[in-house]
Parts: sequence; structure tokens; C-alpha cells
Amino acid sequence: MTLEGYLTLSLMLFCIGVFAVLSQRNLIAVLIGVELMMNAASLNVMAFNKFSVTDPTTGQVFVLIIIGLAAAEVAIFLSIIVNMYRLRRTIDPEELTELRG
Amino acid sequence: MDSLSLILATTFAPLAAFVLAILFLMRHPRLAQVVVIAAGTLSLAGALSLLARGPVEPLRYLWFTSGDIQLRFGFLLDGLSLMFGVAVALITLCVMVYSLGYMGRDPSKTRYFAMLALFEWAMLSFVYAVDLLQTFIFWELVGLASFFLIGFWYEKPSATAAAKKAFLMTRVGDVGLFIGVLMILQVAGHVDIPGLLATEGGLVAQATPAVLTTITLLIFIGIVGKSAQFPLHTWLPDAMEGPTPVSALLHSATMVAAGVFLMARLHPLFMGSETTLGIILIVASITALLAATMAMVATDIKRVLAYSSISQLGFMLLGLAAGSLFAGVFHLITHALFKALLFLCSGLFIHHLETNDMAQIGRGGGRRMRFATAGLVVGGAALAGIPPLGGFFSKEEIFAALGHDGVSLYGVVALLAAFLTAYYTFRMIFLVTRPQQVEAVDAHGDHRRAEPLSMALPVALLTVGAAVAGFWGGEIARGLGIEAGHHSLAAMVPALAVVALGVLVAWLDFGRQTAARTGFIARMPALERLFTNGWYVDRFYDAVIVRITMLAATILHAAESKLLDANFDRFGFGVLGLGSGTTRLQNGWVQFYGGWAVVLVGIAAAYFGMSD
Repeated sequence: MTLEGYLTLSLMLFCIGVFAVLSQRNLIAVLIGVELMMNAASLNVMAFNKFSVTDPTTGQVFVLIIIGLAAAEVAIFLSIIVNMYRLRRTIDPEELTELRG
Repeated sequence: MDSLSLILATTFAPLAAFVLAILFLMRHPRLAQVVVIAAGTLSLAGALSLLARGPVEPLRYLWFTSGDIQLRFGFLLDGLSLMFGVAVALITLCVMVYSLGYMGRDPSKTRYFAMLALFEWAMLSFVYAVDLLQTFIFWELVGLASFFLIGFWYEKPSATAAAKKAFLMTRVGDVGLFIGVLMILQVAGHVDIPGLLATEGGLVAQATPAVLTTITLLIFIGIVGKSAQFPLHTWLPDAMEGPTPVSALLHSATMVAAGVFLMARLHPLFMGSETTLGIILIVASITALLAATMAMVATDIKRVLAYSSISQLGFMLLGLAAGSLFAGVFHLITHALFKALLFLCSGLFIHHLETNDMAQIGRGGGRRMRFATAGLVVGGAALAGIPPLGGFFSKEEIFAALGHDGVSLYGVVALLAAFLTAYYTFRMIFLVTRPQQVEAVDAHGDHRRAEPLSMALPVALLTVGAAVAGFWGGEIARGLGIEAGHHSLAAMVPALAVVALGVLVAWLDFGRQTAARTGFIARMPALERLFTNGWYVDRFYDAVIVRITMLAATILHAAESKLLDANFDRFGFGVLGLGSGTTRLQNGWVQFYGGWAVVLVGIAAAYFGMSD
């Protein structure tokens, strides 16, 4: 498999993620979109790591940190969503616009 | 103790009590009462020992310098301020003690006692002031304290209206006073009272006659407002809306007395201008007569007393304007004692029988309240001017002063007013003590003591004071550094005659068993209506001045809202409209922002990608 193949797959994943973040009416679906984008980025990094870096550990450290961060971020995001639902009885991002200037 | 620490204790004890009570003791009314009465006692003790020490050099301390003008704070301890300071402290303490009983059940008595302390501080500082600016500041504080006390029962709309009326009407005069003080500052370069009054280099020597007349007239406008003289007298009867002890305070030694005191304080300046004295004589005699006629027909016991205060203040100013400092100050002090007594007695009736109407008090068994009745009779006789009580000697001094260049119109008017005074006073006494029948049962149906000790004690003290005050004439004259007036037969005989006539007519109308219990004035309905409506002065104010003010306010309001405000609004909304397009972008919807971010980043990427 070539570098282009990996990059294409990563691009497709990223675009699906962006689409989910921008279009979904449910914060959990938005969260899934965010996860997809992160994984696309990880895949991207690993692809470059395989094809153009002499020491493969560099990219692996990168990706491990991204996975760790993603886990922490999911925990925070989900707790925000639960609290938001308790307060507002909705998790539609279009309804949650109190912070506008 | 030296004089300075004494005077500081005298004036600042009530202030300390006020601050303590209003800041820390709102929840401890008993403690607040103790603190305020202790401060009042301390003030009285201080004022008495200052009086015992006699006059000292004025104490002056530099406040600030502005250009060539030096403003000082300090104390002027001469005979006038020492004597009147004692009167103020004594009557305030009596009223405070009396209020223990009268306001005993009021939920917000801490506020009441705190305001009494504020009132005492303002009045004492006013009396002892050495500098006209200081005088003016405390003059205003006296007005402020009386505003709080008249409107003490602020849940009652009539009380707040009366408080506002008192504050605004005296303010009309205060503007005059302030301009007068500023003119003195302009002419003399200082406002130090002893300096202004000095025979050499004082204001009388410095100012041209026209300027002096203007200044004294401006100050007199302030006195007219404060001492409730015609045409600014209408606030005083309305001030009855306050608690009765407050009326006793307001009408005797504080507030209204401040105006007369200021004229006594600046007497040499007034004596320098014949024109001013003439105008004061006219205004004061109109006031004395006008208010006496209103008192003749009033049915509310407190209103009778209020009108009589206005009338007696007119008498004091008559005495001062006739050139006799002694007559005015003497009457000021005797009046303070017997008017405080009369108000406290009327408070006993009102407290016990729960009515202000004199006929109802009589029917309700007012005369069974021996303490109050005795005080009412002694105070009334002193007010009417029956020898040898307080009012007789002081009023006779005024007649002597008025008549000492032969018979004058003002003397005749004053005699007429004295006749009316005797008449309405004894009308009040007879209505209370000689009703046609007394209702069998006490208004409360019980036989508890009519007056607690706290209310009886001040009444007893003031009864004695009102009875003997007439004999203090010699001491007061000596304190002022003047020869006591000789009792002139020419003044005494007509004075006694009109008083006797007044009492006789009152007896025929109200006193004897078969009396009709309506005044002789009822036979002249037109006059009676005129008197009952207070000569239509208030109506005139409502119909003309209030209406003009309201009209001007309406026009100005329309101009403001249609012209200024509308254009400001248009400008503001225009600016808002400019931004409305871009504000719509900021809608708080995160996905909307994200979408635009992606689009713009995409455009940027495409641009940079192509330029490579």
C-alpha cells in the first residue's frame, strides 16, 4: 500500500468527521465526529512515520499522546454533555447559544 | 475641663449617639434609647456648665484657605448662644424622655431616637457656630433632621407629603440665605460672625446702605422660610403629621427657632438697614395676625398650637425689628418653654384619648387627666400672656419696644394679635376642660394611669419652667449685655386689657355653662370660611404656583423627550443599525462558526495551493 492510499483514507475520515461536527443535531454525534477527525490525524502521522522517518518511535510517541488526550477529552466532553442535558433538557447545539455576544 | 472640651462634648455627644444608634443599635431599641438619652443629658450638663462659666473669647480653627478667603470652624460662646444652647438642650432632653412613653410601642423607635440626636447635634452646632458658613451648614442639617422626623411615619402618604412640603418651602428661603452669605463674603472678605458684627470695621461700616439692605433682606428670606413667616408659613401646620413630641421640639427650641435666633445673632446688621426693618415689621405683623385668626377656628388641638407658634414667631420678629434684641430673645426663650409644654400636654391627650379634636378631648374626659390639664392651663396662660407667667413679661417687652416711639400701627396690630391669642388659647382650654357633658366611661374603659412617669416628668419640669420663665428677664438681659427694659405702664396696661378682653370673650363663647360653644366669628360666615381655609394661601399656591410649575415641567419634559431624547435615540439606534448586519453573524451557534471556519480555511488553502 502506498503513502497516497493512507493519506486518502485519512482525508476521507477527516472529512466525515468535519461533516459530523458541523451537521449533527446531537452533541454525542458531534463528539463522534471529533473522534473521527483525531483518528484521521493519527493515521496521517503514522503513514508519514512508516514511509519517510528513519526512527519510527518519533511518530509512535506522537500518536500515543493523541490517544491519551482523546481519552481525557472524551471524559470531559461527556460530563459536559450530561450536565448540559440536566440543565437545559436538550443537547442540540443549535439550541445551546446562550454564550453569544 | 476647659471650654473647648466642654463645648466639644456638648455638641458632639448627640452626633456620637446618632452614629452609634443608626449603625449598630437598629436591633437594640432599649440600648439605643439609653445611649441617646445619655448623650442628651451630657449635652445639657455641658451647656449648663458653659453657661455657668459665662462668655469666653470665640474659639476659631482654620478649616481651609481659598485665595484670600479663610474659612473657619469654631464656637462662639457669648451670652446669646450660651443661654439658647441651654434652652435647646433642656427641651430636647425633655422631649427625649417624654418620647420613651409616647413612642414606647413604635416598632422603629431606634430610628426615631437617632433622628432626635441628629436634630440636637445640628441645632446645638448651629447655635454655637462662629462662622456664617458653619451656620448655614447646620441650618440645612436642622432642616434635614426635621424632614426625617416629620416624615417619620413614612407609610402615611400625608406624612411624607408634609415632610416634603416642609423641606421644599424652607429651601425657598435657604436659597435667599445662601446668596446673602455669599454677598457678605464678597463685601467683607470673610464670614466670621464676631468680625461682621464689630462696631468698628464690621459689615455695617464696610457695606453701602443699599448693599446692606440687600444682604439683610436675603437673610430675612431665609428666616421667613425657617421661622414659617407669611407667605412661607404653610408648611408648619402640615408638619403636625409627625409624632407629637417632634412637634414639641420643632415648634419650641429647634427648627422654627433657628430663624429667629439667626436674626438675633445678626441683629446689629439688621439694625443697620431701616428698609429691611420696615419690611420685617410688615411681614411679622401680618404673620402674627393672620396665624392668630387661623388658630381661632381650628378644631385640631395641634393645629391651634401650630398656628399659635407661627403667630408668636411673628411677635418675636416684631420685637427684634422694633430694635429690642432683648424682647425678641426673651420671648424666644419663654415661648420655647411654654410651647414645648403645650405640645407635650396635647400629646398626653392624644396618646390617651386617641383624638386630635378639642371638643372630643373635652367630651372624652380630658379634664380627668389632671397632669395634662394642669400643664395645658399653665402653658396656655403663659401663651395668652397672663401675669405672672412666662409669656406676659416677654410679650410686654415687645409691646414696649413697638410703642416706644409713641403709638404705631404695628403696636396696634400686635395688640389685636395678642387679643386673639388670649381668645384662641382660652377657647382651647375651655373646650378641653369645660365640655357640655363628659362621656361616662373612660375612652379605654379602664382606669390605668394616664401618663407614665417618663411622660409626666418632662411635663412637670416644663410646667415649672413656663411658670417661672418670666422672672428670668433680668438674667437674660444681663447675659445679652443690655439694660433690662423697664416695665412701662404704657405698654403693660393695654397688654393686660386685651388679654383680659380675650379671656372674657372666650369665657362667653366657650366657658360658661350656657355658652353656645361656637366662636363669635361664626356670626360672620365669610370671615370664618376665610380663616378656616387659612386665608386661601395654600389654595393659592396649589392653584397658581404649583400649576405654573407643573405646566413648565410638562413643557420641558415634552421638549426633552421629543427634541433631545428623540434625537439622541435616533443617533444611538442608527449606530446600532450599522452593526446589526455583523451582529447577526454572532449567533452563538458553534456549528455555524465551525462551518464558516472550514469554508474560509478551504478558500485560503485553495489560494495558497494555487499560488505555489
